[in-house]
Amino acid sequence: MTLLKLSNLSDLAAALQAQGYRVVAPIQDDAVVRLRSWRPGDTVRIAALPVNSPKDFLFPRCEAIGRYVLDRDGFTSEDLPARAEKTVLLGIRPCDVAALAGLDSVFAWGYPDKFYGERRAATTIVSLVCPSADDDCFCTSVGGAPDSTVGADAMLRLCNGGTAMTFASMTEKGKALDAVFGQFSSPGEAAVDPVAEVPVLFNSEVVTDWCSKSFESTVWRTLGLACLGCGACAFMCPACHCFDIQDESTDAQVDRLRNWDSCGFSQFTLHASGHNPRPDQPARWRQRMMHKFRYFKERFGRVACTGCGRCGRLCPTGMAISDVCREIARAEEVR
Amino acid sequence: MNENTYHPAVLRIVDARDEAPEVRTFRLEFVEEADRARFFEKYRVGMFGLYGFPGAGESTFCVASPPTRERYIECTFRKVGRVTSALQDREIGQTITFRGPYGNSFPIEEWKGKNILFVAGGIALPPMRSVIWNVLDRRGEFGNVTIVYGARTVADLVYKHELAEWAARGDVALTTAVDPGGETPEWKGRVGLVPPVVEAVAPSSDNGVAVVCGPPIMIKYSFPVLKKLGFAPTAIYTTLENRMKCGVGHCARCNVGGVYVCRDGPVFTLAHLETLPQQDM
Amino acid sequence: MEIATKLRADAAALLGDGRVKLVIGYAARGARRVPVFISEAPKVEVLMWDATCRQNLAAYLSKPDLKTLRPVAIVASPPVMRSLVVLASEAQIEDGSVVILGLDESGYHGILDLGKTVELLNAVCKGQGLDREILGRLEQIRGMSPQERAAFWASEFAKCTRCYACRAACPACYCARCIVEKNVPQWISTAAAAHGNFAWNIIRAFHVAGRCTSCGACQAACPQGIPLMLLNVGVTESVETEFGIRAGFDPDAKPAIGSYSLEDKEDFIR
Repeated sequence: MTLLKLSNLSDLAAALQAQGYRVVAPIQDDAVVRLRSWRPGDTVRIAALPVNSPKDFLFPRCEAIGRYVLDRDGFTSEDLPARAEKTVLLGIRPCDVAALAGLDSVFAWGYPDKFYGERRAATTIVSLVCPSADDDCFCTSVGGAPDSTVGADAMLRLCNGGTAMTFASMTEKGKALDAVFGQFSSPGEAAVDPVAEVPVLFNSEVVTDWCSKSFESTVWRTLGLACLGCGACAFMCPACHCFDIQDESTDAQVDRLRNWDSCGFSQFTLHASGHNPRPDQPARWRQRMMHKFRYFKERFGRVACTGCGRCGRLCPTGMAISDVCREIARAEEVR
Repeated sequence: MNENTYHPAVLRIVDARDEAPEVRTFRLEFVEEADRARFFEKYRVGMFGLYGFPGAGESTFCVASPPTRERYIECTFRKVGRVTSALQDREIGQTITFRGPYGNSFPIEEWKGKNILFVAGGIALPPMRSVIWNVLDRRGEFGNVTIVYGARTVADLVYKHELAEWAARGDVALTTAVDPGGETPEWKGRVGLVPPVVEAVAPSSDNGVAVVCGPPIMIKYSFPVLKKLGFAPTAIYTTLENRMKCGVGHCARCNVGGVYVCRDGPVFTLAHLETLPQQDM
Repeated sequence: MEIATKLRADAAALLGDGRVKLVIGYAARGARRVPVFISEAPKVEVLMWDATCRQNLAAYLSKPDLKTLRPVAIVASPPVMRSLVVLASEAQIEDGSVVILGLDESGYHGILDLGKTVELLNAVCKGQGLDREILGRLEQIRGMSPQERAAFWASEFAKCTRCYACRAACPACYCARCIVEKNVPQWISTAAAAHGNFAWNIIRAFHVAGRCTSCGACQAACPQGIPLMLLNVGVTESVETEFGIRAGFDPDAKPAIGSYSLEDKEDFIR
């Protein structure tokens, strides 16, 4: 086997940069590991699960989608370029890769989004077979697997107790990285590390089915009361894609911005008339579940949840989607 | 690569008319001929657009003029917030941004030869107006045309000038009404809420379709009246309004039940509407 | 656990005889500690408490969905108790509408009213200073040049995604329409970018100045690991120095920043 030593990761990143790639990898950032653009001196923590998802690099938190230069008579409208940087996403978990497939479907639906599309085309995904999982992981309950290669351009696999990796390219984009990975790899004996175990916690078909007939259920009130209505889950979720469009001006120029938004915010559906179709948090929490497990599935053929577990880890009140799904599935089994 | 969905066309205000307190109609022309041509290639009656002004943002209104009039488009809207205030601050000759046409449309080709009942209330006449004019511009292709339109007060009736035109035509049966207490001494129309007025007018549902647009409460009470008159839910059409931002099904804000109002609507049959969660609307 | 047994008994009794309509407390879900809302006596069995229960349950008292469910009993450790005192001082809690199930690491203190809670707080917490580690870090930051300090905060706020978890978790943030949600005019940029993030975080720190009890719920809630306590404790320290006030010990206290006294210093006005 040819093996890449983990100690060579920084050199590898530098070499990719030298080839013109922006390199995004899980990087030690004070007390947390964050997916971000590698800079010389950064420590790559390839085996650590980052707090954020690769969504940040294809569908950023905030970007200008229009620009208007103001003048005495009115304005001139500028068509903005997509500003897509050639990017390697390094060490992305299969759950996060699967979520990108969902975003691909949405942003291509009917009116292909130029900004997302060009960024996506310029991005090479190098996925990592999960070496470990925690209690919040549940990819296997939503059609995924810790060693799934679906959607990846290349796969990394840890070996020899996490000290080395193998690299295997699968697509044209992946093959373009063969040389640079080869440059930092050498032949060696390798014992491939075991794949993380992710026990199946529930059957997501049961959840989808329950959602289809339970809009009126009082269960939503119980489930939704703890929700504080922040955007932590939606923003950290690799599959969530709601956004707001907002104009911001200086004296001479207006930028029309696309910013992340969340169906959990109290004013998400507020009409100018004052009417709010989702006036309370349980109604908004219901929408979150319904959209992910029913509406999105009906429209795009997959649930909008890939079991990454971030909602469980990051929700201030511990409202993990996996916990809710397990409760639903358990209740359905008993029926 | 792909064109930018969010890059708007520029429209110039060529005429403005105050319809009712805070309610104004703009007549708008495309500054670029290519944008105009592209718009009218796609525009079918019922579709909407996002009208905006840089610095304030965009707002969603229907296109209130029919596809049969290809030199301009019109929109009618009430001033309620940041964007609508900025738009109403624009004067004739000034420009605004526009994206569209988006959404689905009324299947008026299927209505050829049929009798059409239009029921509208208040500020909801604009989406209906585009259909009415579309039908009237092609009058010979359709059967009887009946219009029932009401508003809270005489002052709130929009398109007053056109109401008079429609009343004067021999081929339209128009009934206007104001809510009890909304009449003036000169008022010659009916006094009553729209649903009971429709029941009293009792248009035949034979070979007919009904189009209803109005405030939620009016719609709620109109549907049973129409069913009583014999209109099947598949023959009753309405438009849904929802808070929108992108207009193209990506931002998920207008998602109601399994539908996206900006893609699967804004035009819905009552039959379809009845499958959507009423609590989410 | 002794605390749990007594807590459950009291909660069941309060619900059973109708003294409260709802009990807000914590339950364990594996290693997680989650808020629970109990309206039936038999369900109190899930109630528990340990030092890892970190959400400030007082934040729920202002949520519209729960506001009408009064009287309510709330499981309260000292940080939660202090928040309740602040809410009472700001007329957010009606007299007698909140029953406090007081506890801390030394044990369960029983069913308390606001008066008893204030006594307990003054006996147990008043003497405690602000977190030493945070104060030490603040010393370091204050020792930076203005440019270094700006760069430090810029790099922290760059992580902010404007999810408003900090706001949602904070009992002092109960505005029906937050300043970021107003658009006529748009006071603060809603974009998760430099100037908007600075504005948001600084403004929130100022809006809770003198009202923050250093409970840490905001920092615990932040999914991006921004050290919000540095900001809030820093402001709290300034309020204590300038006004001699620490929030959460006196239900009749007037808000430090929001009230006016003839004794207020004016020496900074030139």
